[in-house]
Amino acid sequence: MVHALGKASSLLKPDGVLIDIHPTLELATLEVRIGGDTHRAGVVTEADGGEEYKDADAALAFTVRQGLLRIEREATFTFVTHADSLATLREHLADAWQDAVIDDVSARAIETLMTATAADKELLLRERVRMTRFRVLPTRDSSLVTRDSCEPPAWPAP
Amino acid sequence: MTVRVDPEGREIAALEELAGSLAGKHVLEIGCGDGRLTWRYASSAARVLAIDPDRDLIAVAREDLPSALADRVELRATGIEELSAREASFDLAVFSWSL
Repeated sequence: MVHALGKASSLLKPDGVLIDIHPTLELATLEVRIGGDTHRAGVVTEADGGEEYKDADAALAFTVRQGLLRIEREATFTFVTHADSLATLREHLADAWQDAVIDDVSARAIETLMTATAADKELLLRERVRMTRFRVLPTRDSSLVTRDSCEPPAWPAP
Repeated sequence: MTVRVDPEGREIAALEELAGSLAGKHVLEIGCGDGRLTWRYASSAARVLAIDPDRDLIAVAREDLPSALADRVELRATGIEELSAREASFDLAVFSWSL
């Protein structure tokens, strides 16, 4: 990841900007909307416990510490996927989010809620996503990203 | 059997807010997948190189590429490490859920 950030930075003009988009570690939630009412039905977990997001956070923090990038702005938003059934959502996730796990309790809650006779109903997957804008610093030097530094250390203590 | 992804447009709204105007800008999108996000901003940019190492997803993106964007979006099945330094002319690089 650090190498990818270094490479992307090296491909930018001197005043270039890099934007990263990736989910936060907050658990994604599942809700069933029936008409105007929304019912919490469960969560989606990651098979690997969100390791890839932790690694992405660590890689970005490392490049900032190394002076390659400077954080300029940050935003978080809720990314919503709408599905007309649990089967449809599972099929979508099989392509788009292969580490996603919907446990049996959540699945049963969804199926129960989706048996509602109302025609206007859907399943909602809500993910919290962070978007960060970085400025590539003039001193950028991809040699900062050495083989030894490929594995970034954990976040610095606050 | 339908899935709608971010019909509220929150992702593109956040991108427009953080990236600012893309007019005249050359954009590199890393991890473009099937082009879901690419189609939403590309009409504002001058040129877009959208890459993804997954050939199947790039094939889907090529099929779905809106004709109005064909002159400004290049889709390439490759990883960031394979890009040449000769292509170092981007104003903006976007890691699209791909770090």
